[in-house]
Amino acid sequence: MKLILHIFVFILVSPLLSGLISKIKNNLRMRKGQSIFQPYYNLTKLFSKGEVISETASWIFRVAPFVVLSSTLTAAILVLVGFFNNSIHQMGDFIALIFIFALGRFFLSLAALDTGSSFGGMGSSREMFISSLVEPAMFMVIFAVSLQFGSTNISAFGSLHTVSASSIVAAVALFLIVIAETSRIPVDNQETHLELTMIHEAMVLEYSGRSLALIELASYIKQMIYFSLIAQLIFPVGPSEGNFTQIILWFLWYLSRLGIIALVVALVEISVAKMRLFRAADFLGFAFVLGVIATVCAILGV
Amino acid sequence: MQGIILFVFLVSTYLMVIAKRIPALISSFRYQSLCLAAITIIIALTQHEPYLYIIAGLLFALKVSLIPYILYRIIRKINVNEDLGLFVNPQLSMLWALAFTYLSWVFASFLVGTNNAMLTITLAIAFFVVLSGIFLMIFRMTALSQIIGLLVMENGIFLLASTVSGGMPFFVEIAIFFDVLVSVLIMGFFIYRINKLFTHIDVNKLSRLKG
Amino acid sequence: MTDFLLQKLFLFDPLSIFFLAVILIICIPSLIYSFGYLKGEYSAAKIALAQILLFFFVSSMVLVVSVSNCLVFLLFWEIMSLVSYFLVIFDIKHSKSIRAGLIYIVMTHIGTAFIIGAFVVLYKYSRSFDFLAIKNAVQAMPLQTKNIVFLLFLIGFGTKAGIVPLHIWLPYAHPQAPSHISSIMSGVMIKTAIYGIIRFVIFELGVASSWWGALVLILAIISCLAGVIYALMEHDIKRLLAYHSVENIGIILLGVGLGMFFISLNLPYLAVFSLIAGLYHLINHAIFKGLLFLCAGSVYKTTGTRNIEKLGGLIKKMPYTAACFLLGALAISALPPFNGFVSEWLTLQAFILGAFDVIGGNKLFLGLCGAMLALTSGLAAACFVKAFGVTFLGQARSYHAHNAKEVSLSMKIGMSFLALLTVIFGLAAALIIKLLAKVSASALGIDISSMSFSINNFTLSVQPAKGVYLSTPMVALGLIIFGVVSFVIYRVINSYKPRVYKTWDCGYYKLDSANEYTATAFSKPFRIAFSFFLLPYRRTQKIRESFYHVKSFSYETRTTKIFKKYIYDPTLVLVLRVAKSMRKIQPGSIHLYLGYIFITLLLMIMFMSKF
Repeated sequence: MKLILHIFVFILVSPLLSGLISKIKNNLRMRKGQSIFQPYYNLTKLFSKGEVISETASWIFRVAPFVVLSSTLTAAILVLVGFFNNSIHQMGDFIALIFIFALGRFFLSLAALDTGSSFGGMGSSREMFISSLVEPAMFMVIFAVSLQFGSTNISAFGSLHTVSASSIVAAVALFLIVIAETSRIPVDNQETHLELTMIHEAMVLEYSGRSLALIELASYIKQMIYFSLIAQLIFPVGPSEGNFTQIILWFLWYLSRLGIIALVVALVEISVAKMRLFRAADFLGFAFVLGVIATVCAILGV
Repeated sequence: MQGIILFVFLVSTYLMVIAKRIPALISSFRYQSLCLAAITIIIALTQHEPYLYIIAGLLFALKVSLIPYILYRIIRKINVNEDLGLFVNPQLSMLWALAFTYLSWVFASFLVGTNNAMLTITLAIAFFVVLSGIFLMIFRMTALSQIIGLLVMENGIFLLASTVSGGMPFFVEIAIFFDVLVSVLIMGFFIYRINKLFTHIDVNKLSRLKG
Repeated sequence: MTDFLLQKLFLFDPLSIFFLAVILIICIPSLIYSFGYLKGEYSAAKIALAQILLFFFVSSMVLVVSVSNCLVFLLFWEIMSLVSYFLVIFDIKHSKSIRAGLIYIVMTHIGTAFIIGAFVVLYKYSRSFDFLAIKNAVQAMPLQTKNIVFLLFLIGFGTKAGIVPLHIWLPYAHPQAPSHISSIMSGVMIKTAIYGIIRFVIFELGVASSWWGALVLILAIISCLAGVIYALMEHDIKRLLAYHSVENIGIILLGVGLGMFFISLNLPYLAVFSLIAGLYHLINHAIFKGLLFLCAGSVYKTTGTRNIEKLGGLIKKMPYTAACFLLGALAISALPPFNGFVSEWLTLQAFILGAFDVIGGNKLFLGLCGAMLALTSGLAAACFVKAFGVTFLGQARSYHAHNAKEVSLSMKIGMSFLALLTVIFGLAAALIIKLLAKVSASALGIDISSMSFSINNFTLSVQPAKGVYLSTPMVALGLIIFGVVSFVIYRVINSYKPRVYKTWDCGYYKLDSANEYTATAFSKPFRIAFSFFLLPYRRTQKIRESFYHVKSFSYETRTTKIFKKYIYDPTLVLVLRVAKSMRKIQPGSIHLYLGYIFITLLLMIMFMSKF
């Protein structure tokens, strides 16, 4: 029961993280910007609107938002149970996590091609390009971390109590990966309105109304999960236990770690420009090399 | 007795080697086969092998009568130029034949040793006949000479087998005879066809067909 | 007498039974499919011939995996190759079929030559052709000889399996064969080569050094990457699937190679586990590749073209085929909860688990191989988004695609059987892994009574001590529950019905299929990212009427096939040049040939006495 409450609170908090990042960016740009709770307002607005579906679209277009959201929620259960409870999870492990995300991405890309517009095709081509290059870097990070702890179980991440050079380097590699996966500058711009520069946005260009709300919610949850993983590598924290105040304090510490990561992401987004698409290969190659370095550190026992 | 017939055998082979026209070749082949039949009968008498009589009779029937007759018929039918088409002129062919004789004599004496003179001579003549058959096949242009070369080789081998081991097993002999007959028939047919198609039986011209 | 023969000739150990199961699982749906597929394409006599050849093909494969005598193995191996050659060139009207058949038969015979060489060496040491006798005699073989035999077997069976760089016949032969034959060839025939490797290298020779496993791993990784990168560039749907076969054979060999690697380092649990991963991927690949080829065949039969750039919008015209293709694409992209996911998970886990027990540098080697495997699975997913998306989604790009119809019942049955199996083999992973453990253990010769691979019927457990589990039924359950939850949220939150309207067209009034993203465009980022390997070149041509008016513009892009260009073409040119120079001794004159014979005979007679 406690577990389900934990998870529910987390899902509720995830849009806040996105709002936080855009607030920080706007403040750094000397603008007032939108409020932190803007994503909630967006979701409410989208949920209350009607939907337009393209006439060339088939059942894949209609089904994709459900697949995306359900795969993200399944991944959330996998990760958060592992973190909160430190229980050995019998559903799957870290590698299964990656493939579950891949399932959502696959359907979203198909839905983008389904409408028959060129922007959708562009978006899905670029998204599959970047995600396939993310895979080796991700595997090296997992490899490095599991060499350290001894298992690929997610609770292995959740019960790392020491910070070593290998986990720091792995965290930096994971940070670069997360920038690619959550579509942040320098890989993709969430604020752009030019279709030719979009990646993730171009895939969901045809969505509107409730389906778009589901997809946006899924992307917030995914972002939250990834940030939790990075935070765990840098500031490891144990599972939540004890009485009510201890749990509240644990929650606050957990969220503030995520806030620190959000700050770093916002700073990175402000400081650099978006890369040309084909340069993303070099970017992710660099993440891969960092992963290899993390592995070497783990082998050396540092 | 055997020596004289062998001598005639040898001379007929020489005649074949220096022959310039097809009918000459065929008639020397007939003499050769006749001598061979005679030798077989003598061997049959001395070694008391009754089946050799049958072989001799077959030899007579096929190689002395039937096959030359078929060959004569082919020649008349295709009405070809009776020139044999020599690569090597008769005098040089004779020199080659003498060289081959000497070689086979050396080889035969190497095989047999020094005791049995008759055996050495027979073996030498047999080898020589085989070699001259090959000579005919290589150094004569017409297709007909290839058939005859084959038949001459077969004669030589037959002689060799008869002297060394008293003849090959009976059925093998029969099989070889029928083989030879059939191949001659087939070759005859083909020569007829070749001539019809190309209006000559000059095998040298086959080299135009290479890929 | 027959009893004795059966006992001496057939060997029904778990490995053979496993491969028999693979063969039957794929051949039966393909057979059912072929009835609908061949009808209407050829005359009744030709269809009968096709079915007779199919019968011989399947029975020769069945016999290849179950005999236990080298000579009989070779006999049925040859029969299998020859019958499949006839099936590849079955569609004899196309000149491409004949060329494909020629390349196939030459390559497969080169492979068979190497296998024969290996058998000859084995016979020299064991004086017998029976498998078990060879296994006993091999203990006495020196290490150098074992290395040579291993290399001969690897090249020989590798040609049949399609390991890079011996894969060159696969993209020619598989597209040209009729689709049910392609599915059997790709699903089963190249697996018999893996059977050969497992049987002869692991079972018979017993892995002697660790570089064997490392070599197989390196070759497997190269095959994976090369296969999937070439597949991304292909627009012929069956050629794309053929290149994916090369990639998946690489993944299977990763599992097998890891098994060889670990057993040579004396790590029995890991060896059994890796081989299980390899065998699981073997049967999974057979299932989903068979399914994909059958679906591609359905598409080809109704539209008449294999070029995906001319298709599109087929999901509305052929919904059943599209659903089956989607299941196959989901399985091959290793997405949960289907069967491809389980076998790739197992292989990746084998890399990670292995890293704990090997020493330093090998850990990094295993990590890098695993990263390359992750890369290939990402690229495979991308390729299938392209394949499925461009073929089935969007609008129809040509007249044929516009008038496509759903296929006949027998084809549907064939496809749905395999589609069902992809789901079953994914959900029942824990049960299947128990069976595979027995097969793997018998091939390696290890006792597994103390090892466990699944804790109950739903969950795979790889290392219970450290808590690595996977439960595909639970993942599926999670996905379904959350799918239902999101659907409920969707319906409950408001009650507007979605409005159907044109795709957003950015102001252009008429959007048609020419505005859609093409497959070439889809794969452009990959073409650029991997340009060091693909060496693409493009040519553009402008035809102008005047300086300001360009009348037409043509654009052509192509990738270079480096294996063909730098390995096979030079070899071919060299062979032809040597053959041409040998022609000089053949002027065509009979007399000269007779002279050759005569001289040879003379020389033989003269020198015979020496020996």
